[in-house]
This record gives sequence, C-alpha cells and structure tokens, in this order.
Amino acid sequence: MRPLLRSFARAAFVLVACSQSLAAHAQGIEQGRELFVRKDKGNCSACHQVPSDPAIASRATVGPALSGLRDRMPDRATLREMLVDPIRRNPEAIMPPFGKHEILGASEIERVIDYLHAIR
Amino acid sequence: MRSAESLAAVLLAFALCAAGPSHAGAEAVRQEAIARLKLQMPEVPVANYGLGAAAFDLAPGGVADGAATAIVEEGRRLWQKKFRNGKSLGSCFPNGGRRIAGTFPQFDARLKKVVTLETAINQCLLLNKEPPFDPADARTMGAALAWLRAQSDGMKIAVRVASPAAEQRFESGRELFFMRTGQQNLACASCHLKSAGRVYGDSAILPAVGLAAQWPAIRGGQPVTITGRIRDCLARMGAAPVNFSAEDFAHVEFFLAYLSNGYPVRANVSRGD
Repeated sequence: MRPLLRSFARAAFVLVACSQSLAAHAQGIEQGRELFVRKDKGNCSACHQVPSDPAIASRATVGPALSGLRDRMPDRATLREMLVDPIRRNPEAIMPPFGKHEILGASEIERVIDYLHAIR
Repeated sequence: MRSAESLAAVLLAFALCAAGPSHAGAEAVRQEAIARLKLQMPEVPVANYGLGAAAFDLAPGGVADGAATAIVEEGRRLWQKKFRNGKSLGSCFPNGGRRIAGTFPQFDARLKKVVTLETAINQCLLLNKEPPFDPADARTMGAALAWLRAQSDGMKIAVRVASPAAEQRFESGRELFFMRTGQQNLACASCHLKSAGRVYGDSAILPAVGLAAQWPAIRGGQPVTITGRIRDCLARMGAAPVNFSAEDFAHVEFFLAYLSNGYPVRANVSRGD
C-alpha cells in the first residue's frame, strides 16, 4: 500500500509541477505578445505581420511576416542576439537595437522570444 | 531578355548597397535615389512619387478637405494682417508670395545660408520688428505656409544647387538624412529610402523623392510643416530632445526639396495621423 501511495504522490507532484510550468510558459507567451504590440515597448507589429495570430492585427510590410520562426531559428541565443543588437549580424538592418538601447529589458526580451517561438 | 534585365537590376541594387550614398553632386544623388526607389517599388511609376499616400493603395485621405480650407483662410488672414508699421508678410515676397514656393529652399550667397520658406517668413517678421513664428507651430507658421504654398499649387519644384557653397549645404542635408540616431537607431533613409512603399502601422512609407511636394500636410486637422514633421520623426526615433539645429533642419529640407525637383507642389493634402 505504501509504495503505491508513494508512486501516486510522485505522479501527482509531477503533474502539478508540469501544469504550473505550462501555465508559466503560457503567461510568458502572453506577456511577450503584449510587448510585441505595445507602442511604448517592442511595437513590433508596426513592422511585422503575424498571419497565424488573429490577435495581432497588422498590415505592416517593413519587416518580413513572422511565421514558423521556431523552425527557422530554434536557437534562442540567435534570436536574442538579433533582438539585442541586429546591427551586429547585419549592418544594414533597420530593426531597433531593443537590448543595446534598453528599449526592452533582458527579461522582456526573453518573453518576446517565448512569443516568437510560439508563433506557428 | 527579361532575366538579363532582372540580373542587371539585381547587380545595380548590390552596387548601390555596397557603394552607399554618392558624393558626386546633387543631381547624381537624386538620380541614385530614383534608381534605388525604382528597384524597390517597381509597381509605382516615378511620376507618381509626388502624389504622396495617393500613390499607394492604402492611401488615407489624399485630397484637400474642409479643415484645409479653414486653415488656408487663417493663413490668408495672417498673410494680409498689417504689422505695426503698416506692412504685411506679403510685402516681403515677390508677387506677394504667389508662385514662389517651388523655388524654396534657396541658398542665399549673401547670408551664406539656406533660406527656407519658414526662415524667409521669420526674417520678414523680424525685419518688421514683429515676433517670429515657431517653425513647427501649426497655428501660425503652419497656417501661413498653408496659404503661401497653396498659391503655388501645381508649380513644379525647381530648387537649385548651383555653387560649391550650396552643394556643401546639400551634402550636409544628405549626411543628416542618412545619419542613424536616437533610441531606435534609425535614419530618415531607413524608412524613406530603404523601406519606401512598404507599410508601417497602417500607412505606406513615402519615398524620399517627391516627399517635399506635399507640405504642409493636414494631419489630425492641423497643418504640419516639414520642420514639424522632421521633429515628429526624430521624436519617434527616440531622438528627443531633438538634437538638430535650425540650420540642420534647413539643410535636410534643402536636400529633400532638391530630390523632389520636377514634382508639382500639392499643398494641404490630408493624411492620416
């Protein structure tokens, strides 16, 4: 009886931890979406469309439409580098240096990456 | 044949990107800008660059509206208002200010500086011991310009860069146009050359060539002067407090007006916010 109870408790713990982690991840994605849209923050939707996200109403064409970014850029570090200072990878880039010029804080950039990686 | 043309276009694009802006004189710079824009916006005829937002499908407004009529009327009142010495703004300009806007800005060899319509109006006010207008103030300078430029509607822009000294000011304007600045680290060229014709927010980004044909523009019911618009752009770039001097603004306007040579003045066209 005792081993069975112990296994049950372990499974319950894992389930709770997983659901908490999933909830935190979903919250991170939602925060990232908000930063993506806010004019005083990323204001990314002024330049990019997100065809798969009906919550983002944008007709913008300055930057490429964003879809399947996780497949194209699975590495968070690459995406982070582009958001922090895009000029380092492409001197002609016209995307603002969100990190270098402190438009977004480090944790805000992580939330934007959460959102960008969640885009289908 | 078509693929050869495409290849030539791609090679020209690479050459332009690699070489950056030319230093070979105002006309070469203008032709280079046109070549770049033609590659970037092949669907928009060069002749339409001066139409502003109306050249693009998304065009909000694009015609003079009731607000513009009221503003021009206010400008006429300011223009004809007698100074304390009995003169008026009209007394400072040939033909009372009619059919002159297409030739401004001008490099004044005697003053050794670029004179814009804004600075000419303020020189007139100061000469007649009247307080000058803020170049970006819609109520005074905006209204006066709305009336003045409306007197030149349809006149083709013909700005001259005819001496080494004028060329130097044009070059200064060009450098400022290409200078990245502010928290966004953008240059005027980032949008009006590299992204011209694309959509930012809900509006098409207007090309640098032809951009000076439409001043002032009516935005939110107010006339926005070219200086006001550049200030607004700089603020959007996160470059506030604006670090451009009055001369810097004049040089950028000189540069933009020269790029718009040949396009007809279209004053007081309504645009979105």
